[in-house]
Amino acid sequence: MFKNHLNIAWRTIKKDKLFTFIKIGGFAVGIAACLLIALFIRNEVSYDQHYAKKDQIYRVVMQGVLQGEVLKSTHFQLPFAEAVQSDFPEIIKAGKVNNIEIFGAGKHGIRVNGKQENTFEENFVLADQEAFDILEINLKQGNPETALIEPKSLVISKSKAEKYFPNGNALEQTIFLDNDTSKPYTITGVMEDIPENSHLNFDFMLPVEDNYGSWTNQNYFTYVLVNPNTNIQELEQKMSLIVEKYIIPAQIKRGRSADFIDVLRTIEYKLQPITDIYLKSDIKMQDGLKHGDIKFIWLFAAIAAFVLLLAMINFINLSTAKSANRAKEVGLRKTIGAFRNNLVNQFLTESVVFSIISFVLGIALAWVLLPTFNEIASKNMELPWSTWWFLPALLIAALLIGVLAGLYPAFYLSAFRPVNVLKGTLSVGSKSGRLRSGLVIFQFTTSVILIIGTLIIYRQMDYIISKELGYNKERVVVLEGTNILGNKIESFKEQLSSLSQVKNVTSTNYLPVDGGSRNGNTFMVEGQDDGGRGIPAQIWRVDYDYIKTLGIQMTKGRDFSKEFAYDSINSIVINTKMASDLGLKDPIGKKIDNGGQTFEVIGVIENFHFKSLKEDISALSLVIGKDVGAVSVKLEKGNPSEALSSIEKVWNRNIPNQALNYTFLEQEFAQMHDDVQRMGKIFNSFALFALLVACLGLFALSAFMVEQRRKEISIRRVLGAPFKNIYQLLTLDFLKLIVISICIAIPIGWYFMNRWLEGFAYHITIGWEIFATAALIALGIAILTISYQSIGAAFLQPTKGLRTE
Amino acid sequence: MIQITDLKKSFRTEEVETLALNGVNLKVEEGEFVAIMGPSGCGKSTLLNIIGMLDNPTEGSYNFAGHEVGGLKESQRTQLRKGNLGFVFQSFNLIDELTVFENVELPLIYLKMNKAERKEKVMKVLERMKIAHREKHFPQQLSGGQQQRVAIARAVVTNPKLILADEPTGNLDSKNGIEVMNLLTELNQEGTTIVMVTHSDRDSHYAHRVINLFDGQIVTESQNKPMKAMV
Ligand SMILES: Nc1ncnc2c1ncn2[C@@H]1O[C@H](COP(=O)(O)OP(=O)(O)O)[C@@H](O)[C@H]1O
Ligand SMILES: [Mg+2]
Repeated sequence: MFKNHLNIAWRTIKKDKLFTFIKIGGFAVGIAACLLIALFIRNEVSYDQHYAKKDQIYRVVMQGVLQGEVLKSTHFQLPFAEAVQSDFPEIIKAGKVNNIEIFGAGKHGIRVNGKQENTFEENFVLADQEAFDILEINLKQGNPETALIEPKSLVISKSKAEKYFPNGNALEQTIFLDNDTSKPYTITGVMEDIPENSHLNFDFMLPVEDNYGSWTNQNYFTYVLVNPNTNIQELEQKMSLIVEKYIIPAQIKRGRSADFIDVLRTIEYKLQPITDIYLKSDIKMQDGLKHGDIKFIWLFAAIAAFVLLLAMINFINLSTAKSANRAKEVGLRKTIGAFRNNLVNQFLTESVVFSIISFVLGIALAWVLLPTFNEIASKNMELPWSTWWFLPALLIAALLIGVLAGLYPAFYLSAFRPVNVLKGTLSVGSKSGRLRSGLVIFQFTTSVILIIGTLIIYRQMDYIISKELGYNKERVVVLEGTNILGNKIESFKEQLSSLSQVKNVTSTNYLPVDGGSRNGNTFMVEGQDDGGRGIPAQIWRVDYDYIKTLGIQMTKGRDFSKEFAYDSINSIVINTKMASDLGLKDPIGKKIDNGGQTFEVIGVIENFHFKSLKEDISALSLVIGKDVGAVSVKLEKGNPSEALSSIEKVWNRNIPNQALNYTFLEQEFAQMHDDVQRMGKIFNSFALFALLVACLGLFALSAFMVEQRRKEISIRRVLGAPFKNIYQLLTLDFLKLIVISICIAIPIGWYFMNRWLEGFAYHITIGWEIFATAALIALGIAILTISYQSIGAAFLQPTKGLRTE
Repeated sequence: MIQITDLKKSFRTEEVETLALNGVNLKVEEGEFVAIMGPSGCGKSTLLNIIGMLDNPTEGSYNFAGHEVGGLKESQRTQLRKGNLGFVFQSFNLIDELTVFENVELPLIYLKMNKAERKEKVMKVLERMKIAHREKHFPQQLSGGQQQRVAIARAVVTNPKLILADEPTGNLDSKNGIEVMNLLTELNQEGTTIVMVTHSDRDSHYAHRVINLFDGQIVTESQNKPMKAMV
């Protein structure tokens, strides 16, 4: 019996190749899309799952209310970790990590003692021994109990150790950072590489050596390991005691006003599970780490479900569309004694066979597309062939989906009454008209929403890339790893400036892109301390050429100048936002105060975007200071590669032992919005998948309709209906459904995309032309798809449709 | 009116080639009533479809009212067919979604006749077929005899020169069958040429001439004394 069913299934496939292709192909596309999305989601949610005690590890987050605005931060005072560890018995251990560049995290040139060359490396963090323990750093060599106890220790990843010490003798070796031979570091441990799916990724760990850290400045992530079964809410509440016990006394001692102290009293502490950090962090926290977005996870999961659903609907429609072909078979089988459940079994077998073939093809397709997808998503995902559940899970899914998709067609087909079928009076599928229309509307609504999403994401990306930023990012080359120059920076700058291809040169790592230095400071207008309302602002240490090099617009006052000796001591340039935050109508010449140091405002600059466009521009000030973290070079118009080779010559003259490492500011800027771009690309590729499946669906449905109306079309042809008439008859019905879908999709798409755009402080407004474009695309695709069938039907030989008698 | 010479028609499927008509010669004069008979599968319907220009011959010539049909394009055939030909089928072939009135009206719509004129013509022919009281019914609500009367109404509403009927009584009981044959005879007496495929000896007696087809070839031809329409 089963063999007979398989046989029939196989012959059906062979008989109708195009339909089989669409049926199986559409299904396979859906399955491939689902698999890829599933892989992506699996990777995203796998972040930080590798800690053995992941349920006990938390990152502390602070939130407070300043001038009605909720501020969130993940940076804490140096003594904070120690205090919570000793004050709260629930906390077994508290450790701190610092990823801020001026403290020595981030980028360094490194040189092995005894070697000449410096190599530029990027992944440094500072951590104490407690953090080392909490983060379960796994040492291959060295003593894990003491790895970060001694000053000038260095823990290095296995892959970096192999890079610098191929003989495996890394331990106890001496390393210089930025060629500073006065501070030799000793390798105290070689650790297992940090898994790629960790929120905190680093290759080099340095101990925390901070002589200035106090209860009044915040620079450290604090991680805590708590006892199992700790009531986290209770602990969070108890932790507020820290404010009264340590922070307020320290600030009072610094002479802060009562108002300021009131602000401190709004501080609350939250414990964020380590497994939530990657996906569920608020952008306001500004922790400088790479994050995923849980919203996208849900979105992608929804798309995957939809694509699969669309594929299944296609399968159902195609099976029922071809039912007329099967009706006779059903009738005959019944006449010779088949029971209905025999037939149901037969059709289910068939659909499971289809499903399994589709799965095989789908997996193959996913496998072929995976490298491209990895590139788009910048990940290294693989199909988990070797995990024991992968193949069985797919097989079960194939069976399940096969049965699910086959259920309706099986009952539908097996219900044909033999007398009707054999007498030829059966009219196929006329009662399921509403269901079918519903399915088309569903498929096309989904597709149009996805098209709208795609268009809006593209437009927003375009907007970001081409937005006026308040500075000029064009032709600015950023040379990295210049820490090593130390005092020779000035002569290096001069040599670069004298190149004909170079317009300006500035030295500072305070750049308006990710990876640039940042800080948090509090400013007050001098003499208004009684009000106590300091405003938060950045102080960027720059040089005399900074404003010129980046093309930042001055709105009032003047740029820094070497003619005024005091410019290097107490002159400050602030942005428009800072002037208004401070309440200064006429800021030039005003004195402002930052933690006891007084500056005179000499100029006001345009608000330029120094953060992602997701965020508002905040208060920012520039002062003259030495920062050799990076050198930025503004090139004259012309061939940049020529300019770069001249720059390289200068570089090699000055820093002979380290390779030149540069990026363009424009690239860095694009990278700052990399997450958006990446998500956009992923979204767009899956929207394409969904559209493809939906089109196959439409193709299927128009086939269904033509099949159903074949007799009618033939009669009309016999009676002399012209081609145009038949074409319209078949096409208009569908176009009505498509238009309804568009009408449903527009408000839904508008709502969701508006929500998405609200995540950007600076975004496009959605105009009607986006909807018009989406509607045109959908209609165009639909007309093309339907026409294939309608034209075929309109040219149909009339005798073909009437031969059923 | 119809002049067929050495007509051949073969059907090609993936595995087999069927020669349905194998050198048919046939002449039908205007006003004639011809019956085509023969065992099942001998090519009767195929021949009728070709005469009705629903299908193209593979070989040979077919001349309809002075036009060679063989080489015509689809659209030209449709043009030639329009208004000249009416069809009646064994299984009626009415459109289930349309009412009796609308079914009969359809060929007139394709002839781009205006509404008032259509209505007048349809009602006239429905009355003649004694089915006017059912004009708002759907085909499924009618008996077989009634459905076939509607089909005949639809075939003649354009006043065609030629009516082609493929086993028009095949699905009817004898009472309804006789009624249909009487209608066809009446139409013939008014000047319409009729070519009819049938299995029934009784029906063949209504025709002037009977053609016997076997394996795609005409084997015998016999003249009948035309019967009078029975009332
Ligand atoms: N569209 C077709 N495809 C293949 N074979 C056909 C087709 N139409 C008719 N035939 C074959 O041609 C022969 C004549 O058919 P037909 O004219 O329908 O016979 P009948 O005399 O019963 O009306 C038969 O053998 C039939 O199988
Ligand atoms: Mg026949």
